[in-house]
Amino acid sequence: MGLNRNVSLSAGLGYKGGGPYLTYILHRIGGSALFIFFTVYILSLLGLESMQALMGNWIFQTFMLTFGLFHAINGLRISILDLSPKLIEHYRTAITIEWMVYVLVAGFALFVVFRNAFGG
Amino acid sequence: MEVTVKIFRYSPEKDERGHYETYTVEAHENERILDVLELVKGHKDGSLAFRRSCAHGVCGSDAMRINGRNMLACKTLVRDVGANITVEPLLGLKVEKDLIVDMDPFFDNYRKMLPYLINESPLPADGKERLQSPEQRARFDETTKCILCAACTTSCPSFWASEEYYGPAALMAAHRFVFDSRDEGASQRLQILSETNGTVRCHTAYNCTNACPRDIHITQAIGELKMAMVTGNLE
Repeated sequence: MGLNRNVSLSAGLGYKGGGPYLTYILHRIGGSALFIFFTVYILSLLGLESMQALMGNWIFQTFMLTFGLFHAINGLRISILDLSPKLIEHYRTAITIEWMVYVLVAGFALFVVFRNAFGG
Repeated sequence: MEVTVKIFRYSPEKDERGHYETYTVEAHENERILDVLELVKGHKDGSLAFRRSCAHGVCGSDAMRINGRNMLACKTLVRDVGANITVEPLLGLKVEKDLIVDMDPFFDNYRKMLPYLINESPLPADGKERLQSPEQRARFDETTKCILCAACTTSCPSFWASEEYYGPAALMAAHRFVFDSRDEGASQRLQILSETNGTVRCHTAYNCTNACPRDIHITQAIGELKMAMVTGNLE
């Protein structure tokens, strides 16, 4: 007797883990975005015109860059801390630096996307 | 002050699924959430079930989700969480009644870490004790503080996904002995940790570190275990 142990997606996402947990969630979303990106990319290389059009779509590019870049930069932070366990003590500082780098890199990337889309 | 506390309720005899009930009690802002639960149980609804023992943050009995985050009810004050409080059982363990969860899977994982000193060597010449320098003792001091409250393990997304994952608390037990200079079972434990349900399932969400009522740097200790598995260095 007793309630099932299963944790629903909403219960998991509702856990108040703060900033570090947010990066964990965004990392999963970013990983999924990269999977979609590579699928579309490979299909476009195979000559599917609809996929080639999607690759050139600024909304698609914005979505991929926003989440894909976060995945890459967060992954770099995780790798650095994994290789230097002593630094894990400063994980909050590392996450703050990560966000600063992300805003700069993603900001520049999105500027280029928007300029190409609307700059004429 | 008037405190409104919303509590998850589940009775296996009556309910198919859990529900929430809201109670209003008078409590001082310096009172603990455990005191608020005692007020509800004593004055509002005697059927409310929750674990408690020492009530001073040592036994680890009263870990629960308070306003969406794992905490010890006896170490959390009303002023820390405000006048509107939601109390729920720990995630990832079967709920037996109200705030009481089945801790068996948690302790099963703990026992898999061989949480005791392994040393088959003969005692020193004086036959008394195996000596250790303060530096050697300090190496694993952090993880001796664990009180097995399960706040860390039940805040871990990997454990939510599968209770087969040993979880942060079990890994802390392993860390405590792996880095003990008197212990000779490190390779045995590192072998266990290298299995599918070992350290590889830690994805550094840091929920465990944030939830620990003893402020143990859990993710860092798991990182040290990962590094020891790769390098074999136990310094």
